[in-house]
This record gives sequence, structure tokens and C-alpha cells, in this order.
Amino acid sequence: MITRQLSISAPIFILIYGVQEVIVNQFRLPGGGFSIFFIFALVWAILSTPDVAAFSGFASGFLMDLSPTSSGPIGQWTLIMVASSYVISFLGSGNENVKGNPVGVTLFISSAVFLTETLFVISGVLLGVQTGSFGQVLLTICGFSLWTLVITPICLPVFSLLHNIALDTRSKI
Amino acid sequence: MRHGGEGRSRLLLIVLIVSALFLITLDLRGVGVLEGARQGTQTILSPFQRAGSVVITPFKNFFSDVTHLGRTRNQIEKLRTDNAKLRATLLNRKNADAQLLQLKSILNLAGTAGYKVVNARVISQGSSQSFSQTITIDAGTSAGIKKNMTVVAENGIAGVVKEVYSQTSLIMLATDPAFKIGVRIAGTQQIGILSGRGSRSASLQLLDNQTTVKVGDVLLSRGSVANRPFVPGVPVGYVTAVDNSAGAIAQSATVHLYTNFATLGVVAIVVAASTVNPGDALIPQKPQPTPIPTVTIYVTPSPSPTK
Repeated sequence: MITRQLSISAPIFILIYGVQEVIVNQFRLPGGGFSIFFIFALVWAILSTPDVAAFSGFASGFLMDLSPTSSGPIGQWTLIMVASSYVISFLGSGNENVKGNPVGVTLFISSAVFLTETLFVISGVLLGVQTGSFGQVLLTICGFSLWTLVITPICLPVFSLLHNIALDTRSKI
Repeated sequence: MRHGGEGRSRLLLIVLIVSALFLITLDLRGVGVLEGARQGTQTILSPFQRAGSVVITPFKNFFSDVTHLGRTRNQIEKLRTDNAKLRATLLNRKNADAQLLQLKSILNLAGTAGYKVVNARVISQGSSQSFSQTITIDAGTSAGIKKNMTVVAENGIAGVVKEVYSQTSLIMLATDPAFKIGVRIAGTQQIGILSGRGSRSASLQLLDNQTTVKVGDVLLSRGSVANRPFVPGVPVGYVTAVDNSAGAIAQSATVHLYTNFATLGVVAIVVAASTVNPGDALIPQKPQPTPIPTVTIYVTPSPSPTK
């Protein structure tokens, strides 16, 4: 069962990662733009159990670390995404107000993006990564969260469907 | 049973977090395998990024153009009036023309300074989710590019080569918060350090507390040992504001960078610099105001009629 789930999930993660690196990164968007892979990883986490979310967070964080444009050391995104995915899944599990409706998921994901990026900045400062002025960082984080608010409802049905196919669950979003 | 499940879940979480910390430690200690993994990823992605760049080119500047609409309204209006019939053709060729113009300016700049350059096209923008400002170009070690080489754009410095792969390179832009360059002020030769701030505005910190800087001063790169990472004489930007805080050890200033990073399409990597320092020769010329012809009229009063 786990082998089947992994063999379906892995290509999906790699495909979305490829879309991010090859297509989305080409656009010059105001406010820092968005990361479709980041949104996908968080949506995946919220739809999964905490165990699966932590594992998928590890995988997605590692892929984000492998991105040549990533500024921090390898492992920084992995650490952040493990913690973030686990917490998101833990808070969302059993809460139908969050998991049950698309608006709830969208708001939850946008907030999660804001907090995860903030966590990344703080951990980056601790690890000696330069992230720029406070104003610029705040602008990027807010821009990212707003873009997430716009993009998540568009992508949510597809991500939910992929999650159902891969993990054989019945998410009602 | 539930208790056992929770315990297993926590154990998994701890294992994953420890693994992530292990990765960070390995990377900070400079273990080559992990850096190789990033290089491998770029090697795999670069052909797809090239293909993606070709396909997406007509659309990729759309959002940037929208945000600059106010500034270019007059120009757009003029083009609309003059070239109504050619608009469709122009739209398709707009990107190519812009790149050609950038390339021409870059070659002019490099030619004046006697730099040997390798031109490259921007094939990908770095995602700003990690707060870094980078671009990927379609030239790498096979074109003679090495790490820590100066990258110039049409009007001045664009950044520095951060990573090199066989067919592509990753460029850290001058706007990146980690970017630092030694600069000198044209004319007075005062020196300082310029740091990126995530936008086109950078900050300058003078090194000597006896020197002063004023608005409008032009900054040029100071150059590094063996011309890496920076060759001397490349225009960087000009001072827009000076901070005269009483408590500061040395003066600091805000600098507007010459390069427009929102429209970077083509860049040049300086692979060899001239043995002669170009000095202030590369300073961009200020736009010359169009002379307004003055007409002098001499009026000679007619003799008053005599009674």
C-alpha cells in the first residue's frame, strides 16, 4: 500500500516542482510572485494525516532546498517544511471548518504561507543567511500570501484530485 | 492503540527533524555531495528552462509591463498612433528587439572598457520565496564562464556569477541582500561598500569618516584582485539620498542602481578585463536637454509724427 502511494506521489511532487522551476519562475510578477509548489505542498499536508504530512513536508522541503536559486543551506527548507506541514495537518485534522470547505482551506493555506515564510526568515537569520531589509522582507511575505490567496482556489480542485488519486482518500473539497 | 499511534507519529517527526538538522550541518560544513545535488538539479532543469523560456517569452513581461504602464503610457500612445498596422508584428518582435538593444548597449560598454565578454540570455528568474534575487543564464563552463565573474547589463553592473554549471550559470543580482561590492565615487575617488537591499535602491557605506558624498555622485566598481569578482570601472549607480546621522561613524547613502532588473533579457559576463583601468570612461552620459531655439526680436520705435 505504502509503496503504491509513494510510487504515485513522487512523480506528482516532481512534476509540480518542475512546473514551478521551468514555468512559474519565468514570470516577473509583482510582490515576489507565488510558488505553486509551495502551495501544493501545504495543500497536500492539510489533506493528509500528520504522519503523511510530515513525510511529504520532508520531501517537498528537500526539493525546495535542491532548487539552485534557494539561498539558504540545504536542509533549511526541509526543516521548515517538516514542522510546518506537521502543524498544518495537526491543526486541520478533524476540523471540518478548515478541511471541509475551499474558503477555509484557502485562508488556512495563505496564513500558513505567511507563517512558514516568517519562520524561514527567522531561521535564516539564525543560520547567517542575508534576507534583506525588514520592509523588503515584509513586502515579499505579504505579496506571497496575497498571491497564495488568489492562486489556491484555482489550483485546489486539481491538487485535491491528485491527493485522492495518490493516497486513495476521499477529501470533500 | 491510539497512544501507540501518537508515539510513532512523534518518533517519525523527531527522526525527520533530526535528518533535516543533519542536512543543514553537512551543508554548512561544505560536504560536496549536497552541493553536487544542487548542481545536478540545475543540470537536469536547464534544458527544460530553455524550452520554457522560448515558449513563455511572449507572455513573461506582461505583469512587469502592467506595473510600469503609467510611466510608459506616452510611449505606448505614440507607438499606437504611429504604428497601428505594425502592432501585431511589433508585439511578437518586441522581446527580440529589446534584447538586441540591451546587447548593443552591453557591447558598447564592454568595448569602451576593453572587456572580453560572453553574452548570454536570461532563461529563468529565481523564485523570491527564499528572499534571494537571482537569474539563470544560458551560458556556463562550456562558454568559459567561471564562478565570481562580473556580470554587466546595458547600463552597468547586473551582478556576479554565483554558481556555474556546464550549460547554465546562476547570477546573484546586485539587488540581492547578500550582494556587496567595493565602489568608488567618480571624480573624488572616495571608496565605500555598496550592499543590495532587495530592490533597485541599494545602500552605500563610506569607509572613511573624513570624506563626504552628495546627491548625484556616480559610483563605479572599484575592482578586485585579479579582476574577480569585480572588474574596475563598471558603472553601478548614482546617489539619491545622503544620511547625515550625527551618531554614524562614516556617511551612508541611498543609491539608485543603473540597471533595470525588471527588464533584464540579455547580460554579459566579463571573462577577461583590460590591463588598463578604464577609470571614469564608462559613466553613462546624462540625457542632454533638447535645445530650445530662442528668437530675439529687436523693436525699433518708429519716429513719432511731427506736428
